[in-house]
Amino acid sequence: MSAQATAESGGPTSPPSAGGEPATVAVWDLPLRVTHWGLAVSVPLAWLTANVFDTVHEIAGYTALGLVVVRVAWGFLGPRRARFAAFLPRAATVLRYLWRLTRGHTGRYLGHNPAGAAMAVALLLLTAVSCVSGWMQITVRWFGVDWVEQLHTWSSHAVLVLVVVHVLGVLMMSALQRENLVGAMITGRKRAVAPRSLSDRSQPLRVPRASGSQPDRYRS
Amino acid sequence: MDKVIKASIVVGLLLGVAVPGAALADGFKNCTKVAKTAWKPASEAEAAARTAGYEVRKSKIEGSCYEVYGVKEGKLFELFYSPEDLSLKHTKAK
Repeated sequence: MSAQATAESGGPTSPPSAGGEPATVAVWDLPLRVTHWGLAVSVPLAWLTANVFDTVHEIAGYTALGLVVVRVAWGFLGPRRARFAAFLPRAATVLRYLWRLTRGHTGRYLGHNPAGAAMAVALLLLTAVSCVSGWMQITVRWFGVDWVEQLHTWSSHAVLVLVVVHVLGVLMMSALQRENLVGAMITGRKRAVAPRSLSDRSQPLRVPRASGSQPDRYRS
Repeated sequence: MDKVIKASIVVGLLLGVAVPGAALADGFKNCTKVAKTAWKPASEAEAAARTAGYEVRKSKIEGSCYEVYGVKEGKLFELFYSPEDLSLKHTKAK
């Protein structure tokens, strides 16, 4: 019972400290964070060194490919917040979420929101395409084959566009929900209790004023 | 948030300084000053590479060079020919 409850709430919750710091809950596990920040470094590095520093470009590319492989494996083996089966949204859910977002409704998600989940998967897929097509270009079989070169160029540009959208989305969501999501990806922890001042007016918080019960204030 | 913004500015400045300074460290672009209208055809650069024993995969214009992708004894090369006189200016092993 207690193990299940812990898993369902996303991880061990730390109580509010005496200093009035809000309670936090562990959301992003260590392998997830390491692969995230590893990719956050290796992908832009590879993009910047393309056609400039071949050696650095290749090392960054292989590193990114290795990190994608680890992250995908972790997406099947890892805990709930890292597992694809637990957070992969339907396309319709993503579109509906984005539509609601344009009207200022962010919803409340402890793990990925539907747009964030779609972005994570799109980034992993496109980064894999970019890495593999880049690798192919320096094999005897695919060297100088035009479509491989084109695929590498365009998938890499697409990855960078997605990275920019991803970062803007995170910053926007951080501002709307008044939670430092970049910090959450560093520490792995997020605020356990949603603030009262969320912009999502369509779903009023069900916070009992004096009751001891703990309603699920997050969708997962 | 403040720390994040500061960190992004620092990273941005580092990249902004480092990358243009290093630009084209691995790129070879200058083969001739002759105007493009006077260039010999790319097919002749490919032929030169074949004569030198390379299996030619493709060629393209890189700056004022013909860049020929060649394979020789299972190794990959980029050969830079001058479109002016088809002299080999640079060979880069991949």
